[in-house]
Amino acid sequence: MGTLISSLNIALQSMQAEQEALSTTTNNIANVNTPGYTRQTVSLEEAPPVQYGGLLLGNGVSVGQITSQRDSLLQTRLDQETQRQAKYDSYLSTMQQVQTLFNETSGNGLQSSLTNFFNSLQQLSTSPSDLSLRQGVLTAAQNLAQSFNNIANNLSQLQQNADQTVSQSLNQINNITSQIAKLNVQVSAATASGQNAGTLIDQRDQLVNQLSGLIDVSTIDAGNGSITLTTSSGAALVVGNQSFQLSTQTDSASGFQHVYSQGSDITSELTDGSLAGAIQARDQTIPSILSSLDSLAWGIGNSVNSINQSGTDLNGNAGGDLFQIPTSGAAGTAATIALAVTDPSKIAASASGAAGDNSNINAMLALQNQSIAGGQPPLLAYSNLVFQIGNDVSTAQSESTSAQAMVQQLQNQIGSVSGVSINEESVNLVQYERAYQAAAQVSAVIDSLTATAINLGQVTTAT
Amino acid sequence: MSTRINPDTIPDLLTAMQTAQQNAQTAAQQVSTGRRVNNLSDDPAAAAALVLNNAQTSQDAQFQSNIGDLQSKFQVADSVMNSAVQLMTSAISLGTQGATGTLTDSNRQQIATQVAGLQQQMLALANTSYQGTYIFSGTDVTTQPFSADSSDPSGVVYNGNSAVTTVEISPGQSLQANLPGDQLFANSSANVFAALNDLTNALNSGTGIAAANTEVQNAFNQLNSQRVFYGNALNQLQSTESFLSQDTVNLSQQQNNLVGANLATAASNLSQSQVAEQAAISATAQILNMPTLLNYLS
Repeated sequence: MGTLISSLNIALQSMQAEQEALSTTTNNIANVNTPGYTRQTVSLEEAPPVQYGGLLLGNGVSVGQITSQRDSLLQTRLDQETQRQAKYDSYLSTMQQVQTLFNETSGNGLQSSLTNFFNSLQQLSTSPSDLSLRQGVLTAAQNLAQSFNNIANNLSQLQQNADQTVSQSLNQINNITSQIAKLNVQVSAATASGQNAGTLIDQRDQLVNQLSGLIDVSTIDAGNGSITLTTSSGAALVVGNQSFQLSTQTDSASGFQHVYSQGSDITSELTDGSLAGAIQARDQTIPSILSSLDSLAWGIGNSVNSINQSGTDLNGNAGGDLFQIPTSGAAGTAATIALAVTDPSKIAASASGAAGDNSNINAMLALQNQSIAGGQPPLLAYSNLVFQIGNDVSTAQSESTSAQAMVQQLQNQIGSVSGVSINEESVNLVQYERAYQAAAQVSAVIDSLTATAINLGQVTTAT
Repeated sequence: MSTRINPDTIPDLLTAMQTAQQNAQTAAQQVSTGRRVNNLSDDPAAAAALVLNNAQTSQDAQFQSNIGDLQSKFQVADSVMNSAVQLMTSAISLGTQGATGTLTDSNRQQIATQVAGLQQQMLALANTSYQGTYIFSGTDVTTQPFSADSSDPSGVVYNGNSAVTTVEISPGQSLQANLPGDQLFANSSANVFAALNDLTNALNSGTGIAAANTEVQNAFNQLNSQRVFYGNALNQLQSTESFLSQDTVNLSQQQNNLVGANLATAASNLSQSQVAEQAAISATAQILNMPTLLNYLS
């Protein structure tokens, strides 16, 4: 009798075990499209045998463990490539707009304003006293100044846009890190009590991956199920149950938002993630372009002004400034350069004072071959700038593409470990179902045997 | 033991579709703009070279315009020289006539009047202006070069200067753009006005006619040798013009090599990418429609 009851128990246990296995499989199937879901497998184990008389009898099946099939190393590598791709994509979203400001492939960029200015001087050199040719020079100079202004102002605007994304990103980052801190607590608790923390870890992994899209994250296993997150330069983001908020402060020199962690400025230490990409465009690439433009605008403006000052205008007076440029030096010239005269007779074409003397104009024309723009002749300086910009964008595009390919490859690898296969789960479903049915059938058989035993031969079954 | 693969095959197919779409867009842009390089990042080195190429083409056009302006001015000057030389030829024949011994005083005075007339015409020629400025004033282009002045032995005084201007006509090549009036008409070797004036006086007085004739002959030679400047200049302008035309053609060729699209290649890329896109779409549809085991289990 004891054996019958224990057999019943075994059957019951089996049904429970198969039911648990079934619910795991059902959970997998339900989550087939859930991003970041790691499929769970059940390990069914033989229960420890019992001693009965002189025999060791098997004691049925129990659920050993429910394991999430995850590869943490792959997940970490995915996070790294995600950071990398995010940086280049965010850099590109600004830089692709920057490169359209230099519309040289259609011939409508700064080059044509520059060349037209010198062409107008060429025209004037054939008849330096001609008022309409002089007006032509003023018009071309005005266009040149405006071209510089437009590009510089648009570049500043793009910096502003990148600046706005900094504050937005920080809000998201802080939000995610506080969620991760809470999950750390839950995962630790679950691990400590021996429960399956798979779902919680899945959620936490997803959040870390989202965070990687924003900032360069280093993950350290802190033990007991908790993870520590820092930036790659060591600024703390999450430690145990605590998240460390990042804040912004306006930088006094640039007027832009700098990123602060625990009172330290970590802006220039960020290496990856979309935040780093926006910051690189805002703080390094665009300022460098502006500096080259400033040096070109100042070189031309200052040199033309000097030559004009050394000559005589059509009224017999000494020439003044043709361009309005900052007095303190090249910085900011591109944004502010303007025409300083409206009267065409003020162009000091003559060196000697005679109306037909064009030697001052020829001196201005000679500037085209002089190293007035950051140690280079103006057109060459501009051509090199164009190359720099195109090259920056092209390199970032290649990097982004290769990072994207890596991300995809890693996602496939992760999928091969953790992805739910409907077919696979269907097989499990059938397996567990059959085992459940068999166990149920066994219970029915034992039930009838027990009834027989109780009734001692009389065939009456309880209904 | 077979390796488990990622059961989710959709992302790869989506990527294939997106890539094909992007390729199609790029090819279409190349076909419509005729350019292979439509952004700086498409080929940074070519874009940088294009900047220099476009600048050079534009500068060449400006040089050709300068050349046109100079050609017009020099042609005017050259025809003035032509007329001036003819005046001197007349003066020589008048002078020769005036030197014949058989003439009366009044005859000679009549000839003198004619020579004085030539002087007036020469003055007018020397004061020729072109587009509002005087050609023969040096750089003092708003000042009339010569004016009559009886106190001067030549009867004429020069009000301009001796300066010359240069104009660039091709990269690095400049041309002298004017000949000052004093060099042309009144230089120290031979002064045209002085010669004509002296001849007039000699004919009026009846003495020194031979010497005056020699002076006129010298002045005539001087004028001829000076006017060569304009002929030479016009030749140089012509050959520079040809050079610039050829340079423009070369630059256009270079531009095509740098950024031009091979239309045949672009068109075939376009159709290839469209085929690839179709294939990806069709594969995705097939995958999505594929039955799972659940379809077969009853």
